[in-house]
Amino acid sequence: MNGTWTLTKLVLKRERLVVPLWLLLLVALAAGQVQRYATGIPDMAAFAREMAANRALTAFAGEVHSATLAGMAVWKNADAIYTILGLIMILTVVRHSRGEEESGRAELAGAGVVGRLAPLTAALSVTCGSAVLAGLLTAAAMTAVGADAAGSLAFGAAITAAGLVFAGMGAVAAQLTQTARTAIGVAALGLGVSYVLRFLADGSGVTALKWLSPQGWSHLVRPYGDDNVAVLLLSLAFTAAALALAYRLLVRRDLGHGLIPERSGPAASDRLTSPLSLAWRLQKGLLGGWIAGYAIAGLVLGALATSIEEVARQGAAVEEFFRRYTASPEATMTDAYLWLIVLSLGYVSALYPLLALLRLRNEETSGRAELLLSAPVSRVRWVAGHLLFALAGSILVLAAAGLTMGLAAGAPGKVLAGALVQVPATWVLAGIGVLAFGLLPRAAVAISWAAFLFVNLFGEMLGPILGIDYWIAKYAVPYPNLPMVVSGEPFTATAVLSMTGLAAALTVTGLAAVRRRALI
Amino acid sequence: MELAIEVEGLVKSFGRVRALDGLDLSVRTGEVHGFLGPNGAGKSTTIRTLLGLLRADSGRTVLLGGDPWREAVDLHRRLAYVPGDVSLWPGLTGGEVIDLLGRLRGGLDRARRAELLERFELDPRKKARTYSKGNRQKVALVAAFASDAELLILDEPTSGLDPLMEAVFQQCVAEEKERGRTVLLSSHILSEVEALCDRVTIIRRGSTVETGPLSQLRGLARSRVTAELASPPNGLTRMPDLHGVKVDGNRISFEVDRTRLDAALAELIRVGVRDLTCAPPSLEDLFLRHYESAKAER
Repeated sequence: MNGTWTLTKLVLKRERLVVPLWLLLLVALAAGQVQRYATGIPDMAAFAREMAANRALTAFAGEVHSATLAGMAVWKNADAIYTILGLIMILTVVRHSRGEEESGRAELAGAGVVGRLAPLTAALSVTCGSAVLAGLLTAAAMTAVGADAAGSLAFGAAITAAGLVFAGMGAVAAQLTQTARTAIGVAALGLGVSYVLRFLADGSGVTALKWLSPQGWSHLVRPYGDDNVAVLLLSLAFTAAALALAYRLLVRRDLGHGLIPERSGPAASDRLTSPLSLAWRLQKGLLGGWIAGYAIAGLVLGALATSIEEVARQGAAVEEFFRRYTASPEATMTDAYLWLIVLSLGYVSALYPLLALLRLRNEETSGRAELLLSAPVSRVRWVAGHLLFALAGSILVLAAAGLTMGLAAGAPGKVLAGALVQVPATWVLAGIGVLAFGLLPRAAVAISWAAFLFVNLFGEMLGPILGIDYWIAKYAVPYPNLPMVVSGEPFTATAVLSMTGLAAALTVTGLAAVRRRALI
Repeated sequence: MELAIEVEGLVKSFGRVRALDGLDLSVRTGEVHGFLGPNGAGKSTTIRTLLGLLRADSGRTVLLGGDPWREAVDLHRRLAYVPGDVSLWPGLTGGEVIDLLGRLRGGLDRARRAELLERFELDPRKKARTYSKGNRQKVALVAAFASDAELLILDEPTSGLDPLMEAVFQQCVAEEKERGRTVLLSSHILSEVEALCDRVTIIRRGSTVETGPLSQLRGLARSRVTAELASPPNGLTRMPDLHGVKVDGNRISFEVDRTRLDAALAELIRVGVRDLTCAPPSLEDLFLRHYESAKAER
């Protein structure tokens, strides 16, 4: 454990900008929602009743536990907070453990007076510490905006617990694989499974399923309802077990190695003949993972469609719901649910092209791009190889989900069309990725993640919290402007074409910038 | 074509730091040209500019008769590059990387590839992430030597190789030269430079300080003189042409420019000489003089 404190200070220094930013984001999502509902909802009891009856929405947000202002605000955003925090925890812990090992920096540090366990301990202290801070700050902010103190503390505890669980999951994944990217993939798979289990529990009404999901444990606390913090013993036990496993694996393996020993490969290759074939080698794992994940998510979420009950079309909140997610008076609750799901899959799919394009930046900073470009390969040809996967891959990922979901829901054509309609919106994000890589390469990683979070949160959550109504905020992000072909809107090409045009313009500008800039 | 590389007054700044400040470099076709300078002098920046990875702020840069920025792709068909810090795709084997780079450069000689793998004792079936620094360099070297390129640009290519492999490397470069290829070799290993290079260019703080054949550079340098005199050499220490003068009783040692050697010896003879050695500058002296003055100016 020697050197843990020194390494912890190093991690803190490297995280000094990022951690405060996401803490602010999470606190704003929680406390901001209270203020938003304080003025926006005249009849909280009716609102709570209507929301509780809406299976499509409770699938996303969870059950309604408390018809109070704070209770409803938590209902709206808690699941997003648990999940975003989980993702941040995974990224942070892997970055500072496996990421450091992969880069060789851990070797430099490990040669100093540093215990074997110190690097992981330092990474975990900062990660878990910031999860505790997220809980405390949220509890304080909720109390400050007038919420019940006990409920706010319970909510804060639920947030911290969700963070700890995924920090533990990330720590285990970081021991298993040799690269940080694969470790993030493995842990993100855990996050995804946990999300879907909780979603199924609330969407199907089989709430017992929640006990299988870490996010579900935090939901079971029921903040501002019965504040059942004892459930979080499960989260703590899970975290403790995960950390014990991570440390056990750590002491048994060599620095820089995973659990699976490296095997030899071919001594020569006839297939690697072009930048495109190299891009395929580098991209196929990511693409395959996304396609598999989306196919399974589509299957599970689609199967749920048949059990979504119709709701009475009465009340302001129900009307608003149908106004947002359907475009025809004949559209059923199932239609609204299916559109909501393809829309959500669209939102999340925005991450795929961004990650695919960030490989380019990784190639550049590692010096591999230098080697490749010293051969007769133009910059555009190099970028185009990866861009092809980002763009065509987006189609494949969404089509995979559309196919399985349509089959499971018994409406294959309609759902597949709905999933494919999302593609141009995802391409806009790809365009942003190329532009960032071309114009501001050093900030490309930050810009990509910020763009992903912005697109996912602004329309429905952050915009309204900042006082911009949904019906205006939605124009700042692509997805809500797509034709709702699943829920009664006839297909029109305007939005699809203009987004494709925007994506093309961003991409071309980015490519031009890549051609003109120095390789750094 | 007389010159393979022609650089005049090359300037490149990164923000406020001027990495290259009017650098000149000319490499003749068919020669092995040593490119030397202390760490941070701008060797890699020059090479990256020659490869069209960086764009020069000003100055003339001609590579194989073309503009390295605008005609990068066409020019790269005719050259092979080995970076100083070779980074490979971790999931690819060494053999796959060699084949990829070879194909991109327009094919490689299978027989020569096999021969080089044997000479460099490289296992091409291993994944790149398991290679040491030296083995990664071997991968890039095999790919470069097995290619058909007319110009090899090598940026400190042997910094991770063991002495045996260093010898193999020197043989390979000598063979390349025999086949009429041009080599730009950036290096810190003086014996390597001495053994391989026809001409050298020494740079310091982004500009060229010396360039020419090694023999000529030696001629410009100072000789070290050590003498045992008949009496203490009191007046001698004040001669302006002598550098690094050390006096110990009747013994004196100093450095002197070769053009001033006559005058210095005449002074010694005036005092009376009992014993005398006069050594030509070693390559180390030559470089140390430039490197150390770089340090003094920092």
